[in-house]
Amino acid sequence: MADDGAGEGSGELAAENTALGLALGAEHAAIWGYGVVGAALEPASRGGAGAAEAAHRDVRDRVVALLAGRSVEPTPAEGGYALPFPVLSGVDAAALAVVLEDGVAAAWVRVLDQAAEPATRELALEALSAAEVRAVSWRSAAGQTPVTRALPGL
Amino acid sequence: MSSIPSPGPRGFSRRTLLAASAAGLALVAAGCTSAPPDDRELVTGAQADQLFDQVGVQETLVAAYTAAGAADPALAGEVAELAAQAGEQLERLRAAAPGASPSSVSPGAPASAEEARPWLRAQVAAAATSHAAACVTQSGARAALLGSIAAGLRGQDGPLA
Repeated sequence: MADDGAGEGSGELAAENTALGLALGAEHAAIWGYGVVGAALEPASRGGAGAAEAAHRDVRDRVVALLAGRSVEPTPAEGGYALPFPVLSGVDAAALAVVLEDGVAAAWVRVLDQAAEPATRELALEALSAAEVRAVSWRSAAGQTPVTRALPGL
Repeated sequence: MSSIPSPGPRGFSRRTLLAASAAGLALVAAGCTSAPPDDRELVTGAQADQLFDQVGVQETLVAAYTAAGAADPALAGEVAELAAQAGEQLERLRAAAPGASPSSVSPGAPASAEEARPWLRAQVAAAATSHAAACVTQSGARAALLGSIAAGLRGQDGPLA
């Protein structure tokens, strides 16, 4: 099971699988979290949350397929996750989205560190870059400064 | 449901784990690790040369921020934070590639103040693409650093638009 650090296969591929399992867990959390984000936003502002959730679902599906192809049991989604703070307003929702994207970014940077396959690094880089682009928008919506990060995920 | 949503120090169980992982990774990226290097940390000659090249790419980008600011002083103030982040990225790259000599590649300059913003935006995009391509052929902490820098520069595109 990838999530317990064991992975399957040996050596570098096992480390890559473990990192992918952690990234999958972060994607699960983001998908769940965007449900909270969307619910706290005004209807007219929910488009960004919906698009972000769809993007995370897409990445999740790609990671599940990748791990399944290696006969590695994918990390399951948890039934719920503890929120880092109460989400009572649109600003709170944007701040939660920042937390979600930052968490995903950290997970994908770890995949880059652990990856053995160039194709996995391509996937990680794509997911990391997309997470940071979304995070910039959410930081702006949350009133955070600066809105950009020099080294997202590190 | 394995946990009940509630505020407090626990936060996201998964996120807590990832934050700890990221902290450890940062130490690795900075060369501060007591663990023996694995194969991912072994650098081939081609990888070392490429990392030196990426230092040059980032130096050119930092120079581009200076050139854009000279062409449009109002833009210089607006993008000061982005320029500082580009400089921070350069320092991290230099730390990862000790011995890299300063680049002699000039980014040129925008044709006019009106052209400064789109010119700078193109420079940032080009640097991000270069770091991303290099990331895929590197491994270990070097891949993580280049990927993070590429993502950071992708994030700069929105504020520069």
